[in-house]
Amino acid sequence: MENCRILNRIVEINIANVKYADIELSGNTCFVGTNNFGKTSLQRAILFFYSANSRGLGISSSQKPFEEHYFRYENSYLIYEIATEEKPFFVIVYRHNKLVFRFVDGAYDPDMFFTANNDAMKIKEVISNLEKRGVYISNQIDTFERYRNIIYGTETDKQLSKFHLLKGNEKYQNIPKSITNVFLSSKSSIDSRFIKDFIANSLTTENSSIKLEQVERQLRQFNEKYTDIETFLKKESTQLVELIDKKYDQVHMLKGAQMEMADKLGSSLRFAETQNESIREASRKKEEELEKLHAEQEELKDNIENKQNDIREEIGYYDRTIREANKKLKEYKEKNIDNAVEKNAEREKLQVELNIARREYESLTSNVASIELKYSSLIEQLRNDKSAYINKINSRTSEIFNHYNELQLLQKNEFNKREAEIKLKREEAIEEANSEVTQKQIEFNQLKSDEKVIRNTRFYETEIKSLENELAELRAVSYKNKSERAIKQNMVATLQREWEALELKLKTSLTNRINQTNNEIIKVKNEIREIEEKLNVQHDAFYGYLEKNVKDWHQTIGKVVNEKLLFRTDLNPEKAETTANTLYGISLNLEPVDIVSKSIEEYQFEKNERLAQIRDLEEALNQFQAANNEEKMLAADKYGKQLGEYKEDVKVLTYSLELADKREKKLADELEEWKGKAGKEVEESLSGNRQRLNIIEEELSILNKKKNNLLEDFNKQLEKLKAYNDERIADLKNKQETEISELEVEKKNQVKEFENKEEELIKEREGNFKNKGVDSKQLKQIENKTKELQEALKEIEQYAQIVSDYLKDKREIFDKLPDLIQKKEEFVKTNNDLAAQLEESTRKYNIKRMELNKQKRAFDEELIEFNNGINFYSNNFRETPVYVKYADIIERAEPKRTNYNIMDLCTQLLKNDSHFNEEYGAFQRYVNEFAGKFRIDNHFNFIIRNDATQGEYERFAQNLRSFINENKIELSIAETATQIGLVTDSIATKVKELSGQKDKIQHIISLIAEDFKKAEFEESKLIEFIKIRLEESDNKVYKLLKRIQEFREENGLVYNEGLFNTDFATGSKREISTRAVKLLEQLRSAIKEQEQEEIKLQDLFELKFNIKEGMNETGWTHKIDSIGSTGTDILVKAIIYITLLHVFIKESSHRSSKDFKVHCIIDEVGQISAHYLRELLRFAKNRNIMMINGLPNKSGLESHYKYTYQFRREENNNVRIFPSIVTEVEA
Amino acid sequence: MSAEEFNLPKQTHDIFGVMARGNFISSNGTRDGMNRLYDIINNPDNFDRLQAYFNVIRYNIERGNNYFYFSKLGEPNSELEKKLERFERYIDIIDLLASMDNKITIGSRFRPSEIAEECNANVRLKQKLQKIPLYRSETLHNKVREICDLMSRDSFLELEDEKTESYKVLDSYNYLLDIINAIAIYDDSNSSDDTQAIVYN
Repeated sequence: MENCRILNRIVEINIANVKYADIELSGNTCFVGTNNFGKTSLQRAILFFYSANSRGLGISSSQKPFEEHYFRYENSYLIYEIATEEKPFFVIVYRHNKLVFRFVDGAYDPDMFFTANNDAMKIKEVISNLEKRGVYISNQIDTFERYRNIIYGTETDKQLSKFHLLKGNEKYQNIPKSITNVFLSSKSSIDSRFIKDFIANSLTTENSSIKLEQVERQLRQFNEKYTDIETFLKKESTQLVELIDKKYDQVHMLKGAQMEMADKLGSSLRFAETQNESIREASRKKEEELEKLHAEQEELKDNIENKQNDIREEIGYYDRTIREANKKLKEYKEKNIDNAVEKNAEREKLQVELNIARREYESLTSNVASIELKYSSLIEQLRNDKSAYINKINSRTSEIFNHYNELQLLQKNEFNKREAEIKLKREEAIEEANSEVTQKQIEFNQLKSDEKVIRNTRFYETEIKSLENELAELRAVSYKNKSERAIKQNMVATLQREWEALELKLKTSLTNRINQTNNEIIKVKNEIREIEEKLNVQHDAFYGYLEKNVKDWHQTIGKVVNEKLLFRTDLNPEKAETTANTLYGISLNLEPVDIVSKSIEEYQFEKNERLAQIRDLEEALNQFQAANNEEKMLAADKYGKQLGEYKEDVKVLTYSLELADKREKKLADELEEWKGKAGKEVEESLSGNRQRLNIIEEELSILNKKKNNLLEDFNKQLEKLKAYNDERIADLKNKQETEISELEVEKKNQVKEFENKEEELIKEREGNFKNKGVDSKQLKQIENKTKELQEALKEIEQYAQIVSDYLKDKREIFDKLPDLIQKKEEFVKTNNDLAAQLEESTRKYNIKRMELNKQKRAFDEELIEFNNGINFYSNNFRETPVYVKYADIIERAEPKRTNYNIMDLCTQLLKNDSHFNEEYGAFQRYVNEFAGKFRIDNHFNFIIRNDATQGEYERFAQNLRSFINENKIELSIAETATQIGLVTDSIATKVKELSGQKDKIQHIISLIAEDFKKAEFEESKLIEFIKIRLEESDNKVYKLLKRIQEFREENGLVYNEGLFNTDFATGSKREISTRAVKLLEQLRSAIKEQEQEEIKLQDLFELKFNIKEGMNETGWTHKIDSIGSTGTDILVKAIIYITLLHVFIKESSHRSSKDFKVHCIIDEVGQISAHYLRELLRFAKNRNIMMINGLPNKSGLESHYKYTYQFRREENNNVRIFPSIVTEVEA
Repeated sequence: MSAEEFNLPKQTHDIFGVMARGNFISSNGTRDGMNRLYDIINNPDNFDRLQAYFNVIRYNIERGNNYFYFSKLGEPNSELEKKLERFERYIDIIDLLASMDNKITIGSRFRPSEIAEECNANVRLKQKLQKIPLYRSETLHNKVREICDLMSRDSFLELEDEKTESYKVLDSYNYLLDIINAIAIYDDSNSSDDTQAIVYN
């Protein structure tokens, strides 16, 4: 039984190819066997006892995992028996899905595992078997970690805590690591790197390294962001942003204008299409109206012309009649008709005279007888003649009287008739004129009222009203927008102030916090420095003396001594027995006194506590900064977003106000235009109206004049008629009177003649009576007289026919001539009236026709314009890309009349599109150039594809605008600034964490160096010395990492404010930031260049050896290729490993735990000489380390081991391990 | 006089390395820190120093619109002629690129396949591409690739992403456009063969 704890035995049951093997390990052990017989497998199984890590056994990935290779069966067991000061215990390792452990409180006994048939039991059977035997068996230990805790004595479970190999401290993990590392690196040459790795791997966990890939990624991310921001902040980029913004507005406006125009075009087209038919219809109606008007005019013209023809015929008739009458009258006059008529008037008288003459003659010739009778009869006859004559004259007189009376009556009747006729005509004409005047007056009044209406009518009222409404709405919206903009601008200013105030507050609080933390850190650092100073000097100070020389001095001196005194090096303490337990000879009861002094561990603890405090402070500061940044970012996000929104709103409002202004101006112009048009229209209408009014006024005056003329005419006619009548009647009366008076005179003369003749007859009779004779002279006289009378009558008879004709003509024609002339004149006047009427109606017709034609032409022109527009649109616009671009708008537009014609709109759209394309081209160029300045995967996402659509380009500009408005660059800068802080901080923390272990390394190295010194090489003189020392690392990446850490230490946590800061006041911060950026950039390049995956503890220092073997001294070197022979090399390597193992075990185990031994597993030591081997084993033994080595074959070396096992492969391919019978020569 | 005496930026060697090969340094180039080099030259202090330094070795830094390049002081006419000859091939290339629907401008990013596709779909472009001399690639895509490769080598383009074969047009492309714009074509009626001549201003 050993009096110390040691892995006493390993038993393999059904492990790999070994059915059963029981190998004792309580001393140096040697495995002899050719390759591939299972030596290394067994060594791994032993290593597993220490490491309990199936993955750290050096099994390559191409091989089967430990679990599968070793534990193939249900009843595969690895059993480790550990000897203790009292009784041994053992551990069973078996597979229950995964590898598990059970501790058994007792020595290993094969019966516990095998049946009577020598078959290995299953675990349940083993457990029940053990329980039957009353042997304690622990519960299943499921984790490697817990197993190690038990084995290395850190398990808190009391039932299990006894199953320990040694009592490790918190660093006990180094022990299994060291054993593993020795085993795994035993084949390598002696290179300080391996030693470094060994030390480092033993000291560190898997995570305690700086993963450069991660650092590089962080740096790359930072660098990319930094580059992006730098690119963005460049002057050229800023200029491009402005250009893009400006161009975007321009193209946006142009596009808007184009869309508006497209809408107008669409509206015009729809309107033209819808109005086409109605305009055609209207034109057709006008045509019909024209035709109707023409027909009416023709009818009226025909009618009037017919009347005129009739009248002309009448006039011709009268004219002819008058002309013929005048001709006849002239002929009569030429025939001296007046004389003839005068003579004819004397015919009766001459006839009477002739008759008287004849009778006188007869009486003169025949009256010789009876003169009395004769005279009597003569007288009687005369008297009868006289009475007859008187009667005749009277009857003539009465006849003439009656005749003239009748003529007068006729004349009067005629006059009355004519007068009535004229009056009727006058009435008619006046009535007609009046009606015409009335009509004109009505028309005039109508026009007057029309004028009023026109004056009151608002032409284009719909358009004007719609424009006015639109203007009013626009103005209202503009007003609203202006006030909204003012509000938003105020909001922007307010938010800006709030943001700035908050930022200032955050900045101040951060600065305060940084200052506070830095002060605290400085304070704690000072304390640490004090502690470190104490720790550094403690060896040489009073403290060190007490530690070395006075047991439990803390209980005595520690309670009374001044702490400062303890660390004074100038006290030269010496032990004097007499004053022991007294203070300068005075004994004190120090029981109630508190201990003032502290142990090294306590100082270390205090130091660590303060370091932790610094870490906590930094951590807190980091958190604070992160929170501050986050708050800043939140504020930036909040305010930036709001500001951006408000600014965008302000911009949009400004833009819309600009547009509204333009629109207002345009609308105002349009309104003015419409108003002008309306005014013009009013003026035109009024002027037309006025013209018409003037014409009508003129016409009215003409009509009145005409009416007056007519009246005057008629009155004249009447007067003339009356005068004629009066004249005629007077003439008739005169003629009547003249003729009657002539007859009366004739009668009187005749009566007188009769009376004279009677007297003569009486006288004659008396003479006859006296003379009774015949008077021949008288007879002759009578005969002559008769002759003369006959002659006169004959002459009268010659003209009788003409006179008769004349009289007849006179009665029938000449007397009616004035009437005829009068009638003719009337007809002429009527004809003239008709001509005037025709002329007037023609004038009216022409005016109306012109008006209708004008209207029709307007319709036709509109139709032509529409058709031309539609044709132009179809032929020159429909097939262009511009149409395709605005097809939606054009096709969806509502039909509406616009002020523009289709052709102009098409042309303007095409023209504008070309301008738009130019502007858009420039806009695209700017966007491309701007985006091209950034990396393809820039974090701003400023990326545009070459085949991007217009929408994408516009979205790009919009996003860029939002980016500017929301001041996202500040956010990005803040993020990047935080990132640089975090990156440097993370690097600094990692470096600090890693280099924090450098002390441990230094400590380990000093221990190793000391152990080397202690080595008893003097005996053999084989190796004179092995020296080891630490040097600064020459790893470029580490150096830069270190510089970053120092930089961070120097500048504290916050130096990111200066990133991109152009403020002169904080310019120094910019310099710091620039340095930081440069350092990070250098680090990035170095990482790239060095292609190293991680910075481990071993990269923090360089390890150098100096070995002297015989006369050979290597000098301080990294790598010892060959010190001497291979054997020497193996020896030196083994010595170094054993030293390392020893140091680590010492460092990692509890001070109280000393009585234990561990194994150092080094394979292949076959080439070492027996002498060296002996030296080695001794070296190990002195350090409580048992060696487990492999040999390929028996060579005598095995004789130096306590146990030697041989390996043999049997026929069934199983390996048998059996002890070789050798004697331990020396151990 | 040594480089130190000129107080030159430490990237002077890199700058010389790029420009002495006849390449351009563009502000939007990212490969091999081209934009950094541009910023360094663009710094007025640096520019004057570099100019003075390079003038000593008879190089002159020429400043374009966001790019720099070297010209040689007192270059013989034969060299200039050679340069012009080399430039002539770019006339057709620029003509092709300028005729694309998606115009290739500074900062544009494109893949040769996109151009090849467009050329394939457009007879006019196809003819233009086929007419470009010097290349014997069988497919349009390969021809465009060769053009891109040539332009990359001459530092007018930058291969941004090798995987996607994405190129970016560098600011130095302006140089080509400026030269093209400076060409005046006139009809020499006096010449016997009635050919057109090109004058580089």
